[in-house]
This record gives sequence, structure tokens and C-alpha cells, in this order.
Amino acid sequence: MSSGTEHEKRFQRVYAANFEPLLAYAMRRVEQPEDAADIVAETFLVAWRRSHEMPPEAEVRLWLHGVARRVLANHHRSGARRGRLGDRLRQRFRSALAVDPGSEVPELLTVRAALARLNEVDRELLMLTFWEGLEPREVAVVLELNPAAVRTRLSRARARLRDLIGHDLDPPGHVLDVMAVRALEEGR
Amino acid sequence: MTDEQFDRRVRDADPYRPEVIAHLGGAAQELLEEIMSTPILESVTEPPGRRSRPRRRLTGGLATAGVAAAVLAVVFGISMVKTGQPGGQEAAPETSSSSVAPGMGSYSAMVLKAAEQNPRLLVDQPGWKAQHVDGFAKRTGSITYSKGERGLRMSWYEATEYAVRHKDRLQVSKPESVQVDRWPGDLFRYNEREFEVLLKPRDGSFVEVRTVGAWTRADFDRVLASVVRVDARTWLASLPAEIVTPERVNERAAAVLADVPLPPGFDPATLNVEGINDPSQFGIRVIGPVGCAWITEWKRAKESNDEDALRRATDALRSSHNWKALQQIDIDGYWADGFWETADRLAAGGPVHPKMFNPCNAEQ
Repeated sequence: MSSGTEHEKRFQRVYAANFEPLLAYAMRRVEQPEDAADIVAETFLVAWRRSHEMPPEAEVRLWLHGVARRVLANHHRSGARRGRLGDRLRQRFRSALAVDPGSEVPELLTVRAALARLNEVDRELLMLTFWEGLEPREVAVVLELNPAAVRTRLSRARARLRDLIGHDLDPPGHVLDVMAVRALEEGR
Repeated sequence: MTDEQFDRRVRDADPYRPEVIAHLGGAAQELLEEIMSTPILESVTEPPGRRSRPRRRLTGGLATAGVAAAVLAVVFGISMVKTGQPGGQEAAPETSSSSVAPGMGSYSAMVLKAAEQNPRLLVDQPGWKAQHVDGFAKRTGSITYSKGERGLRMSWYEATEYAVRHKDRLQVSKPESVQVDRWPGDLFRYNEREFEVLLKPRDGSFVEVRTVGAWTRADFDRVLASVVRVDARTWLASLPAEIVTPERVNERAAAVLADVPLPPGFDPATLNVEGINDPSQFGIRVIGPVGCAWITEWKRAKESNDEDALRRATDALRSSHNWKALQQIDIDGYWADGFWETADRLAAGGPVHPKMFNPCNAEQ
């Protein structure tokens, strides 16, 4: 891939810069970690096909998050793995996770369990903020919400989570391997 | 707990493990190459006329291209094909507007490569028309083409399934050795009017050629004698214009969805339609996910007492009777009727019995 048009080179740059953030995004939102490979593959495939719509590189990450959200929503709706693209990525991913057994400390599980008990909007706001590291105005772009509304809801969600964690000092009986939450479905 | 401690606790609960990246080997790069080897298709919302250029494949080896499963295992027969020189194996298509609609040489390397790796049989007789094209993915698929009252269905399967199928056919009749363009097979006779040939496994798949309607043995022999194996471009070019190849997917999806309201958050660009399909099969693969998403949305709205959303979903489901593509889906009338039955039930307030037709179930 040393040669190629500007367009191709740009996509390669976008891919390199955003592969890990998108993989992390997907990993945080699927039940089986290997499914994250499908989400990433599908998201970049959609991005490639729609690359003429891609915004300037400074803004492309939020655009990709928006694509990933829709891919994830469709993934959950269909309830099935796609399994046609990125097969090797999925295999590598599985073995990579096997390398790290990932013993989790109870405190982390408590936080995740509390997050899982929030409603979808609150949870997504917090995940985008704390894990994806997005600013409220960026969260607003991804979720297609008013930035002011995001700040208000974020504040409320934060308080709810804090409340839940405060009342839940012990680890939950049901241990979540990953967040395993459903995607926030758009417009809902 | 201070705000700072709280924030740190939430951040620490992130299930993502950055070290995973170090163990991916070249998989990420391979994925990039797979993606960039697929055709760029226009957005379905884009007006026609802004054509994408064909893509070159970035790496060799179909095995790495999961997407290339889109066009696998192909056996095909259709009219308007002239045989090549006597004794020659390849045939060239006549030039007609319908037979060369995709444009010779405009196929992506991926599509060509997939086609090349699979059997490609054409009936070299005028008047045959391809119908009910389905699959062409993962080494299975079928096409029925017909002329008048008679049809010929070609189905192909993984070579590993050959032994079981052949053993079963031995119960039908005594096999009789035949050849289809020098491809050996066994002919079985169901009765005086119905015949089948199982071609022996070749390149990972085998082909079943079955008569549809009333045939005579002489007719079947004559048609089989005219079947030729052709090159990938000829095969691709011989697809009638209405058949949806991977490179036509977005344009056709836009047409299918032209009068279909889309559910909130539903992005047509995420539709994945595998293989090569006739208009009915293609319509099912496009409308199915839309219908599924509307049903999901209807249930969500109902459960959360979201009256506005419920009304929108109900209206959308009710409008399905007017969706042109759905009206044109005609697989024994089953699919569209099942869709409308479920849609009407929901529009009337539900509930839907689990055994009712549900487009969320891919098997339907």
C-alpha cells in the first residue's frame, strides 16, 4: 500500500489514527469481545464506502463514532455476528484476550454494575465522557443532541451513578466480563 | 468520596485493555487492506451520476478477503452466449444492452477473482432467462432459469456435501454417466419427465442441475449438450440487468427504499447484502432489516409509552402495503404476505405471536 491516491492515503491515515479508539469503543459495548472486531470492521467498511462524506481529519473521530453507533445498533438488532470481514482480526483478538486473563478488582466491577443499571442515555453519556474521553460538546455531536442538554443530562447521570456506587460498596454477585450493554439507539 | 476520586473510579472501570493492541499482529493492517479492496459505492441518498471508480485489490489471495465471500461458488447459465471456437472452452457474450449492462472490464478485482474461482456454466441456447438468483456466497447458491414452461435449476454446494447427496440420489435411480462441457457427472431419473445431474466436485464445490416442469429426456440431453463453461467476465456480463451484483447494491438499495420510511437511527449504508441476487431476493435482504428495525422500534415505543414514536412506527408499518419493492417481492407470495400480516397486527395494537412471521429472523 505504498502507492495510492490522496484519497486512499487519507483513509489510511484516518484508519491508523482511529483504529484503537474505535476498537475500544466497540469493546466497551459488546457482550463478546470478539464481536468488537465485527463492529470495527463494519464501521471502517461503512466509512470507506462513504469516505466522500468524511469530514476534515480533525473532526473525523466523532463522525466515526456516529457511524459506529449505527453499526452497533444494527448489530444488536440483527442479533447476529456478521463474520464476513475482519475474520483474522477476530481470531487475533480472541487470542490476545486469552493472553491476558484480566483479573478484575471488585471495585471496578462495582462501577460497571452500577453503570449497567443506569438508563441507556445516562450510561452512554458517561461512557463517552469517561472512557472515550469526549468533551460534552463532542458527546453532543456523536449523540446528535443539543450541547446544553448534554451538559445538563451529564450532570444528572453523574449524580445517579455516584448514588448507585455509594449504595453498592460490595462487588455485584453477577460479574460482568465486559460492559455488555446495548447500544443507545438513535433518536430514542 | 471526592469528585476527583469518583471520576478516577469511573475511568478505572473501563473494560478496554490497551495491551490488546500489541497482540493483534498484522490483523489490523490486513483488515485495512480488505476494506480498501472493496468497491466504493455511492451513498444511497446520493443522486445517480456520481460513479465510483473500480477498485484495485491491494493484496493477493482471496482467502484474506472476507468480503469476497460476496461472490463465491458460482455456476450460472443464461442466454445470449455464443460458444467460442470449436473445441474452445471459453465463450464470448453477444453484445446486447442487457447482457453487458455492468460494462466489460468494470468489475472490481475482488468480484472477478471470486468469479474466477468458481464454476461458471451457461446455456448456449437462445431464449433462456435467469430467474430466482439467490446466494452466490460461501460456495452455495442457486439460480433457476427458464424458457417457456420449462426451467432448469442449478444449485451448488460445498464439495464436502457431495457424498451424502450422491448417496441419496442412488435411491432415486441408477446413475448414468454424462458430461457437461467435459465436466463429468451422474444423471438420475426421477420419472419420465424429471431429471437431475450431479456434477462431480471441482474446485471445492459441486453442481446439481435439476429440471423444473415437464421435460423429455431428449430435451434434457440437448440442453445439457449446449451448456458451456465460460470465463469470469463473460459470466458476469451475462447477468441480466435486473440481477443485483455487489457493484449495483447501493443504487438498487436506494431504489428499493425510495418509498420506504426509515426507522430512527437506521443507516442504509450499514446494510450488507451478500452475493448476487434477483430483485425479489435482494428486496428481502434490504426490506427485511428495515422491517425488523421498525418492529423493534414499535416494541420499544410501546414498552416505554412513547406515544409519538409508537405512532410513527405504526404509521410506517401500516404504510408497508404501499412499498413498491415489497409489492414486487414474489417468492410464492409468502414473504410479503407474512410481512404484512405481522405489520398489520402491530399496527392494530399487537401483540405478535412468536410463531408469526418476523423479518428479524434471518431464516425467514
